Amino acid sequence: MDRNQIGKWLRNPAKMANKYSLHAVYFCTGCGIIEIPPVITTRWDAERFGVLPVATPRQGNLFMITGYVSLKTLKAIIRTYEQMPDPKYTVGFGSCPINGGMYWDSYNTIKHLDRYIPVDGWIAGCMPRPEAVFVGVTHLWTLIDKGKADGYLRYRKNYAAYRRNQEMLFGELDWSPLYPVGDEAEEAKR
Amino acid sequence: MNASLRTGLEATFKGVEVTGPRDGMMSVSAPSDSIPVVLGYLKDQGLDHLALVSCVDWIDQGKFEVIYLLTCYMRNDTDYSAEQRLHVLLRTEVPRESPSLRSVIEVFANAEPYEREIHELYGVHFEGHPRLIPLFLERHYEVPPFRKDFDTRAYVEQTFGSIPPVED
Repeated sequence: MDRNQIGKWLRNPAKMANKYSLHAVYFCTGCGIIEIPPVITTRWDAERFGVLPVATPRQGNLFMITGYVSLKTLKAIIRTYEQMPDPKYTVGFGSCPINGGMYWDSYNTIKHLDRYIPVDGWIAGCMPRPEAVFVGVTHLWTLIDKGKADGYLRYRKNYAAYRRNQEMLFGELDWSPLYPVGDEAEEAKR
Repeated sequence: MNASLRTGLEATFKGVEVTGPRDGMMSVSAPSDSIPVVLGYLKDQGLDHLALVSCVDWIDQGKFEVIYLLTCYMRNDTDYSAEQRLHVLLRTEVPRESPSLRSVIEVFANAEPYEREIHELYGVHFEGHPRLIPLFLERHYEVPPFRKDFDTRAYVEQTFGSIPPVED
């Protein structure tokens, strides 16, 4: 262990433990997922950075959206994101989740991922190299250190707005709200 | 097989035009109401694999062209070689105003998802299809999105542009 970090470990052990055990949900969307197998296996070995793929969202805390997001995928992404335990971090990987990328005028691909779920960081590129994933992970460490990777808190706080955007796209959603919205939220506050 | 298939098709069906085969591809155009019978005939002739059903929107001519691509898995003939392998393109045209075709599920059961896809992306109706429900799309589209008169940019502007950012 790095001796310089002993102070940090003593001050906030939970945060530090969280930081070095990023478990990525193995959720494949778009073309970016082709970069993930080399990242997690011997060539680049993401385990050096404490990043491991997990089979189910209920065990993961890092969610990488690896490419264009079609409407059908967005539904799955929202449900997966809501199943992950707090604290959870979302990273948009590639240019398509940022602003649509090369699918900017596609009829069935969403353009801005952060209008539907909160995103903590972006990795730009089409495609990003595996090294970029590690640069992204180290940036995410810094954000976690400073308490700025607070997407899950923003989701709770702005849930009504996120849910409204999701419903603008899909109409009636066939699952119940994760947090209370509308009248229920008023009651909960009281 | 190629020559006999050609004469057989032209002798059996009225209004069937055969061109080719060129580069192993034979093109057959048939009137839209005879599609299931022609497909059945081709299936009996050994073309037992429907590889895909596709559609083209010829907006200037006011019609859709529906294309069935047929090939054969394996023949027991000893003389069957790569040079003799044959693909058959069966084309038909339907008017753009009321596009409707007879479903070919009775002949090739695997046409079911292709017909559903063409129905939702082009708005071509398939009579006798058991469930023409959406396959890929999540939203309702006024104009089916693969038609040439579907304005993608206006749609994107209107749909995705209207969703506000949650925070800045």
